[in-house]
Amino acid sequence: MRLAVMIKQVPATDTVKIDPEKGTMIREGLEMEVNPLDLHALEAAVTWRDRLGGEAEVVVFSMGPPSAIKAIRSALAFGCDRGFLISDRLFGGSDTLATARALAAALEKEGPFDLVLCGERATDGETGQVGPALGHLMKASVVTYVNEITEIAEGRITLRRAVEGGSQVVRAVLPAQLSVVKELNRPRLLTLRRKQAVREREIPVLTAADLGLPVEWCGLKGSPTQVVSVKYPELVRSCEMIHVGADLERAVTDLADILTKEVAAHEG
Amino acid sequence: MAREYGKVTPSILEKLTEALGKNRVLADEASMEPYSWDETGKNFAVMPEVVVRPGSTEEVQAVMAIAQRHHIPVTMSAARSGVAGGAVPLRRGIVITTEKMNRIIEIDEINRTATVEPGVITNDLCKVVAERGFLYAGSPMSTLTSTVGGNVATNAGGAKGIRYGSTRAHVLGLEAVLPGGEVIRLGGKIRKGTWGYDLKDLIIGSEGTLAVVTKIIVNLEPLPGRTADLLVPFASIDEAVLATSKILSLGVSLISCEYLDQPSVLLTSRYVNYAYPFQERAGAFLLVQVEGASEEDLERDCDRVGNLCYDQGAMEVFVADNRSDSADIWSVRQNYAEALRVRDPYFVSGDVLVPLSEVPAIVKAIGERAEKYDLECVICGHIGEGNMHPDIFKPDGMSVKEWEVYAEKFFADLIRVAVDLGGIGSGEHGVGFVKKPFLIETKGRVEMALMERVKGAFDPDWILNPGKIVDDHIQEEGTP
Repeated sequence: MRLAVMIKQVPATDTVKIDPEKGTMIREGLEMEVNPLDLHALEAAVTWRDRLGGEAEVVVFSMGPPSAIKAIRSALAFGCDRGFLISDRLFGGSDTLATARALAAALEKEGPFDLVLCGERATDGETGQVGPALGHLMKASVVTYVNEITEIAEGRITLRRAVEGGSQVVRAVLPAQLSVVKELNRPRLLTLRRKQAVREREIPVLTAADLGLPVEWCGLKGSPTQVVSVKYPELVRSCEMIHVGADLERAVTDLADILTKEVAAHEG
Repeated sequence: MAREYGKVTPSILEKLTEALGKNRVLADEASMEPYSWDETGKNFAVMPEVVVRPGSTEEVQAVMAIAQRHHIPVTMSAARSGVAGGAVPLRRGIVITTEKMNRIIEIDEINRTATVEPGVITNDLCKVVAERGFLYAGSPMSTLTSTVGGNVATNAGGAKGIRYGSTRAHVLGLEAVLPGGEVIRLGGKIRKGTWGYDLKDLIIGSEGTLAVVTKIIVNLEPLPGRTADLLVPFASIDEAVLATSKILSLGVSLISCEYLDQPSVLLTSRYVNYAYPFQERAGAFLLVQVEGASEEDLERDCDRVGNLCYDQGAMEVFVADNRSDSADIWSVRQNYAEALRVRDPYFVSGDVLVPLSEVPAIVKAIGERAEKYDLECVICGHIGEGNMHPDIFKPDGMSVKEWEVYAEKFFADLIRVAVDLGGIGSGEHGVGFVKKPFLIETKGRVEMALMERVKGAFDPDWILNPGKIVDDHIQEEGTP
């Protein structure tokens, strides 16, 4: 059983700032960390490797600048067996499709993998598209919003996924690509010993050439989508005072009327 | 000296309403009830006669002039998150709440100061200044609920105290109204001075007994460099305490060094639904925040602290180097007080402070006293400063009245030990009326007489928060 986890290094901030002119994220001066949702994918992979035993192995991949090597090291400290950084100037400006193509090429080169785990989405780009696109490119079963993995046996995986108003139990044929949600598990804390142990580990870097990717599939050239502009939604808050005065009954009726209208407006 | 206070008559209510407007004067019991108690417990509640909500220094002046003229007690009230009863209007009278004085007036980047009104929620200030690249370092554990004014009143401390000190270290200037209505402005956007007696420092920590603070100029620090949090379980309390003293002498830049014993972790982890690893086996945990100017510095210093902990017998050393892990491990410490209150609304919180070298002795004494009094006791604390919070729960079957007396005995006993060890009875919660008897007992006659004279110099008629810190020599029936 071979498991792969795809992780991304993202800015360690709750408030992503966008350059209004360029439509790109402002990353200068921000500390980086492993995308918090990817930690759940890591936890699931490491847990299932240990549960399945035998020859099972977890390999972590991340596409990003050379500094993303730190994210790979964190994943190794987390318990992954090996890691690869996918990094090349040619990849700059990749959209979700170009990213998925590069990741798929890396999986093919280092594969085959039975199970590929991704976080639900990255907290910076917020698209949630790379995982399913990757699954499609590798012709795997694609399952999103996975909140429980119940069984992996005989070339199949049984899991539960969150759907509106409830959940769905899915049995899928391996290889499968899963995008997992944070309800799946509680990621473990890293120990200092593990961090120290992987500090000097050599992390292989895969370039576009290593992956045999044609230039027109990489970066901006390989990206059919482009962020043209970014607008922040306008937040409007208003307050209407209902004066009780002497007539409490009337005030309550007025309040009930307003609430009924608001509910109707939102439902309509 | 027997003292008597005036009552809030209909004509005084009218005067207050004239000065502030109708919406700023609350006189019905339902509206005043929340102002009758603080986190010390509802059992200590005293109903004020009127609650006023001034919105400016001028309005505070008007209230104080009326209060002075009619000799009416005035108690300041902010978030009421205090646990020594500082905000309880012991002698009834007027409660002034700072809730309408909640503006951040100015952030001065050149002088690295912020000027705020007392009702600003401390965390709101922290967030606003952080956006400009600054840290307000005077924030206590209750930062989400407490106010800057309340923090000044109690000289509050927090998890960052080991690095930055308590609130006092960050108050550069104060504007305050004296009984009678005069305004004094002390200090300013300056960081030193030998310019007469430091009245500002007298007002900080005076729990509203000397003057009504209406504006505060605080010091802003640069945001710290990179930080990482270490969570370290130890098999025994002794090992954790010993490791702390060694960590502190490493010369590493620490922002926090906090201690939680196993019962407090078990209790709080249930409340926040997040379990610490090893919590079923570890006797105590240290939570250490390390700062480094660069990533390399941070890694090196985390190694130094962590390796030392391994050498001292730590069961493991966990590192939170991402925000979600950090938030999770801190959630246990930050929600400690709330978790205790859910377990027992009558729990009583201690706040003893001893020299660092005496932490093992005070922890031992707490354990022995808890056994002697047959009490369930949990301990957390800012161990890096020697400030421990032993918290005790009311035994089943004991009445609330009996409990008040019993808990007082326990803490009297413990504070005597702390004082014998070279410490004091409150590191950051304040004296209020709850610890007043112990203050009087341990300070001695000469020092208390001096304090009474200071009180009288600011407040000749003793109308400001009477019955707190120093004795107002009134023992009314039915008051705590």
